[in-house]
Amino acid sequence: MNRFIAKLLFLVIIATLPLNAARAQKQTAPETLIRNATVVTVTRGTLQNTDVLLRNGKIAAVGKNLNAPANARIIDGTGKYVMPGIIDCHSHSMLDTINEGTLSVTSMVHTEDVLNPTDVDLYRELAGGVTTLNLLHGSANPIGGLNTVVKIKYGRPANEFLFPGAMPGIKFALGENVKRSSTPNQPGVTRRYPNTRMGVEEVIRDAFTRARDYKRAWDEYRAAAKNDKNLIPPRRDLQLEPLVEVLEGKRYVHAHCYITSEILMLINLADEFGFKVKTFQHVLEGYKVAKEIAAHGAGASIFADSWAYKIEAYDAIPYNAAIMTRAGVVVSMNSDSDERARRLNLEAAKAMHWGDLTEEQALKLITINPAIQLGIQERVGSIEVGKDADLAIWNGHPFSVYSRVDTTFIDGEVYFDRAQDLARRPELAKERAALEQAEPNRPRPQGQSPQGPRRRPSGHEDDDVEVEKP
Amino acid sequence: MPKVRSRLLVALVLLSLNLNANAQRGAIDTYAITNTRIVTVSGPVIERGTVVIRNGLIAAAGADVNAPPDARVIDGTGLTVYPGLIDSYTNLGLPDAAPSPSPGGGGGGGGFFALTQPRPASGPNSTQPPGLQPEVLVEDVIRPGGAEIEASRNIGITTALTLPRTGIWMGQSALINLAGDTPQQMIVRSPVAMHVGFTPLRNSGYPGSLLGVFSSLRQMMLDAQRYREAMQIYDRAPRGTRRPDTDRSLAALVPVIEGRMPVVMLANSEREIMRALDLGEEFKLKLIIAGGREADRLSARLVKQNVPVLLSLNLPKRTTAALPEADPESLRVLRERVAAQETAGKLAKAGVRFAFESGSLNNLSELMGNVNRTIENGLTATDALRAFTIWPAEILGVKNQLGSIEAGKIANLTIVRGDLFDRNSRVTHVFIDGRPVDLRPAPAPTPVPTASPN
Repeated sequence: MNRFIAKLLFLVIIATLPLNAARAQKQTAPETLIRNATVVTVTRGTLQNTDVLLRNGKIAAVGKNLNAPANARIIDGTGKYVMPGIIDCHSHSMLDTINEGTLSVTSMVHTEDVLNPTDVDLYRELAGGVTTLNLLHGSANPIGGLNTVVKIKYGRPANEFLFPGAMPGIKFALGENVKRSSTPNQPGVTRRYPNTRMGVEEVIRDAFTRARDYKRAWDEYRAAAKNDKNLIPPRRDLQLEPLVEVLEGKRYVHAHCYITSEILMLINLADEFGFKVKTFQHVLEGYKVAKEIAAHGAGASIFADSWAYKIEAYDAIPYNAAIMTRAGVVVSMNSDSDERARRLNLEAAKAMHWGDLTEEQALKLITINPAIQLGIQERVGSIEVGKDADLAIWNGHPFSVYSRVDTTFIDGEVYFDRAQDLARRPELAKERAALEQAEPNRPRPQGQSPQGPRRRPSGHEDDDVEVEKP
Repeated sequence: MPKVRSRLLVALVLLSLNLNANAQRGAIDTYAITNTRIVTVSGPVIERGTVVIRNGLIAAAGADVNAPPDARVIDGTGLTVYPGLIDSYTNLGLPDAAPSPSPGGGGGGGGFFALTQPRPASGPNSTQPPGLQPEVLVEDVIRPGGAEIEASRNIGITTALTLPRTGIWMGQSALINLAGDTPQQMIVRSPVAMHVGFTPLRNSGYPGSLLGVFSSLRQMMLDAQRYREAMQIYDRAPRGTRRPDTDRSLAALVPVIEGRMPVVMLANSEREIMRALDLGEEFKLKLIIAGGREADRLSARLVKQNVPVLLSLNLPKRTTAALPEADPESLRVLRERVAAQETAGKLAKAGVRFAFESGSLNNLSELMGNVNRTIENGLTATDALRAFTIWPAEILGVKNQLGSIEAGKIANLTIVRGDLFDRNSRVTHVFIDGRPVDLRPAPAPTPVPTASPN
């Protein structure tokens, strides 16, 4: 009898073990209470003298005079602003390579395969209050590769960056980049099709036609294979599978575009095939067709005020965000640049100046709106109880040029802390001095001269059709 | 009359064959190295003993072994006999990769296997472009002799895994002994493994980037799965089934996706290794990592997935000159160079199986110095020797033939005055397949001019 009880007890313990382990793991991130701050919730107004409690990676409470749990880390937020982590809906950070430009349709390639979690740009973005990135394939082809939505968990392995539950997506591109307008004609070199906007449409239509046939072939095979064991299955085609997902509404389309004709073309083509474009990226002439974009249900992810960097960007105006917002389009402000990504707060602020968006509308451009565009609005994009504890503490209003980020949290853990960064610098200098003395780091008296600093891409990467370095 | 002449010819040929055979039979094939220190690797070190070589094999080794009367005796006083060293990732025996006369030009006229251009080897009638042809066998292109093979032998390397130079699916490697008059005599085992490099194709279309490399690897493995299934269905019911196209490339991948043939993936940084491990897991491959500079950071996963590492001894070092106007190097680069010396020791402690490879060091004379650096940074000398002998033999599937001094194994021996890893030691004799090889002293290192102090 005793033995039986012991056995039972043992089983119970075994059964609860994994639970305990999971709980223990979650509790490793300490609870944090930010006290007496100005909390910019984005969706529920801006709250003065308010506390925010972070527990188990989530926002556990928002309110006045919250009780600090024992062992909680307490941050005095007096005079500071707490803002949701900024979401950049168009980024190429941490990608070892951006374009597979050899073919016009490269839906088989996946940015997730080439993540570089050590890219220092990520740290700089954290220092700008950014916590989530939409990593997109480049714009070399009408149908590009698959995207990856990540949280910037700098210092962790790449697989821990992946945003759980984010909608899968794919990059499309229209216009000058894909028709290779900036590629000079060279004798003896065949230009990659397409060379016109007409061709771009044809390439996309052809791809979706093939995807539809592909789906039909598999459906037919599955039906027939029930009765015939000796049926050879169709070939699995990694190029067409993501397009079938688009047709089935299981994958978002993020389409790089500029001018009205191509925006309307893609809307019509999507209607014809029965799918939705989730976001138009850049979409500099979006203000001209804002109603049509809104009617399709697409979002727009844009720059604040840069234009005329190529022919198709001549008609842009800085009122784009305001006009589209008023037409009912979900608009976000993106970086498309590792440099601009550090100051997306100011890009959003510009929309108050150009077009008189309210502060709340402008804040949404870099928080809840891009969250909606990526299908993660239930998790991030605002400060609400139950959402992920992805937020930043600013030392002033985020729309002021004089403000900077003190601390950035992701899932309740600190990934950037200005004070810690400054405190670590002497230690790092000491480490550097020691490392430079180590044998493998001693400079050779001969050999090639050192390389210059890496050429940093200028403001726009969208027209930077990357050439693979040998 | 013509008949007579042909008969005469046949007779002559037979005679010459016979002579050859006689010559071989007459050659000395029995050696004894006496009064020598024997590092067997498989067992304890024999401080004073004899190694007997007969007919290409190790006949006996031990303290109480006597030299047979017909043996040529080498007095091993002051010498140490080691198993021949194995370099587990090389391009030895391949024709030179000469610069291409017409970059991006069409197929070279030099025949299918002419590796005279810096482009991947190519298989005949392939469905795939060069670089994506897993059916390429390095066995078909290796040649005996050459300066590179000689340089390797001079430092005591007797056996090498050799593989095509470039490609995504690079092809299948062979384990060769670094002596022999014909390619056939050199080969110990072929094919040994499938090789994957992640370098995009150049000037030849898709895949032209790392992104495309991964998707094309995946697509071909999926295609191989279907090919296997289609062939099985066809074999089952040839009557009434439309005959699937044969495809040498996909056929070559079938043993890979079935986990029978190991796949060696070239990966050095942590993220490269992680990508390879992910791909290996996705397709249930029998994976081996080559390069492995930061493999220690993934020790737990390597042990769990049972993935061995062919660890490069081409340790990174600063190559740029010290100029006052130079930008400081990043802390990451400085850290990585120092950490690379510790990888071997950490792998050994974590229980990751690994073997050394020379990592295409330009100057092979640095190789033993670099082994010493791994020993100074946490690897035991015993494990360093194992990583050159029995561990590669195990990883490459030849542990019954190579990797230790035991009776019956191939007589590949490296004989050294002093300790193998000592900076002042000298390789005095090398036996390959039971025969001594001519050693040429390595050229004196070029004197390093001292920087003018200004």
